[in-house]
Amino acid sequence: MLESRELTKSFGSVVAVDHVSLKLEAGHVYAMLGPNGSGKTTWMKMAAGLIKPTSGQILYEERPVGVESRRHIAYMSTEPYFYNWMTIRDVGRYYEDFFEDFSMERYKELIGRMELREDMKTRTLSSGMMAKLKIAVTLARDAKVYMLDEPFNGIDLLARDEIRTCILQFASEDKILLLSSHLVEEMEAVADRAIFIKQGHLEEIVDLETMRTEYGISMADRYRQIYGHEEVTSNV
Amino acid sequence: MFKLMKYEFRKTQATKLILLAIIAIAEIAFLIGLYGNYDMTAGLSIVALVFLSFLGVFVVGLESITILHRDMNTRQSYMLFMTPNSSYKILGAKVLECGLSILLAGAFVFALGALDITLAVAREQGLNSLWEMIQNFLSHITINGRQLEIDAPILAATFLNILTSWIMTIVSAYLAVVISAALLNGKKFNGLISFVLFLLLNWGAAKLLGLIPDTMSSVATLLVYVAVELVLSAIMYVVTAEIMERKLSV
Amino acid sequence: MQFDPMRPIWLQVMGEIETSIVTGVRAPGEKLPGGRDLAMLYGINPNTAARVYQELEKAGLCETRRGMGTFVTGDAQRITELRIELARQAVQEFMVKIDSLGVSKEEAVKMISEME
Repeated sequence: MLESRELTKSFGSVVAVDHVSLKLEAGHVYAMLGPNGSGKTTWMKMAAGLIKPTSGQILYEERPVGVESRRHIAYMSTEPYFYNWMTIRDVGRYYEDFFEDFSMERYKELIGRMELREDMKTRTLSSGMMAKLKIAVTLARDAKVYMLDEPFNGIDLLARDEIRTCILQFASEDKILLLSSHLVEEMEAVADRAIFIKQGHLEEIVDLETMRTEYGISMADRYRQIYGHEEVTSNV
Repeated sequence: MFKLMKYEFRKTQATKLILLAIIAIAEIAFLIGLYGNYDMTAGLSIVALVFLSFLGVFVVGLESITILHRDMNTRQSYMLFMTPNSSYKILGAKVLECGLSILLAGAFVFALGALDITLAVAREQGLNSLWEMIQNFLSHITINGRQLEIDAPILAATFLNILTSWIMTIVSAYLAVVISAALLNGKKFNGLISFVLFLLLNWGAAKLLGLIPDTMSSVATLLVYVAVELVLSAIMYVVTAEIMERKLSV
Repeated sequence: MQFDPMRPIWLQVMGEIETSIVTGVRAPGEKLPGGRDLAMLYGINPNTAARVYQELEKAGLCETRRGMGTFVTGDAQRITELRIELARQAVQEFMVKIDSLGVSKEEAVKMISEME
């Protein structure tokens, strides 16, 4: 279980995440939603141990995240981060060197499915290819938690289906999947729970099928209800 | 730890290869001078080789500091900090890789020097002028105001001292970079403050070393220096890693 | 498959499978894909996929055999009933549409009988 308690992060006078308390349970795929700048990325980076909270706590299996939790939490950031001398093969070897749960076999298979080649240099990849590489290398880990920040960004329509399939392939009862995206429609069927974050606050967590049954509305509808009066610039 | 060091080496490998290439050119010039009886060329290239080995140590250290800066302040930082390695290990790999590089480079230059001298001895006629050049060069190096006497223990101790004092300098730069990235991030004059901090740390260390009485033999004094520098490096290393572990957001 | 995101997705996938059973695309006694495969096939959440099988089972349209997977029911009677249920649903939807157009039931029946 991944849990944040009154988690807060401010950068100078800007409060990016504001007293967010939430629990993510194994066996669910969560869609983390909110316009750009609402705090999704900062929350994820704190869960990945890359950013230290200003106050509050973030716990994995009841213990503060850190070196140990990184063994079990696979995080994919929006931005590319590989060393510029790396080829796609080198990226795999790097993960193999540092993550016990990484499978080179699975990586090679995913790379093939994403139509990438191992000898490609990361420096020369297009943004779409880079996005696929990040997903492939992250999903090649057999982690307990996957946090994918904007997995559909920069990826064309056809490849999105492939990525959705890959994500679903690795979802299971003992795993937590957390996906953030401003492409809300892409996540309707994949996620079963939605976390709405608004200006750093947790707005609500809903069970999507329950919401559809009881209110007859989609995740996108709820998104519009919550953020409708804000300027919708992110819903491209 | 070894894996982290491997990647630290990979980051610096280009610079190291360039340095090696330049040293190779100087060595070739020396050999041409030696066997072609161009005394001037041989002499100058020996000076160049000595100069290059010092420059090399300097460049390796400087690069290590800029890489740390990049590893804290750019996206590249995720590569290190997403892995299940503690800050102690991440930083330790950097210090060790850097120290080891300098040590190996030193050993390499020393071996090269020994080889060159042997070659020069073998070609007797080259020997006299070369020896003069070396002595001339060494007479400009003094330790604590004393003329350097050349013997093996002194050379070894001097070499060790260069290594440890340079490691101490690098670790103090690490501390300054980490303080800048973890504690002063986004604040005004961040870069300046950390640079001043770096100068202060080194000034403090120099003051401390200055307190060591100068009554022992040169070798003993140098070894005390080495010990003090190692202790200071260790303290700064721990402080740096603690700050990273507790405060650093990348 | 394109879903209507305003209606429960398990219901829509269930409808698809029911139709495939009635039309014979999935034969009686045929093995259905496992939960994960169903999820990947339709691009849906695994919990949603599990729900689909739960509901199909509850409706007597498939049975799960321990360690072997989920199978379409072999009960021909039940499939016939399903055919009628689905036909009723279709008629009901048709009626709603016809009604909204202001056409009476009698007129509609007449129209149907006149159709080729």
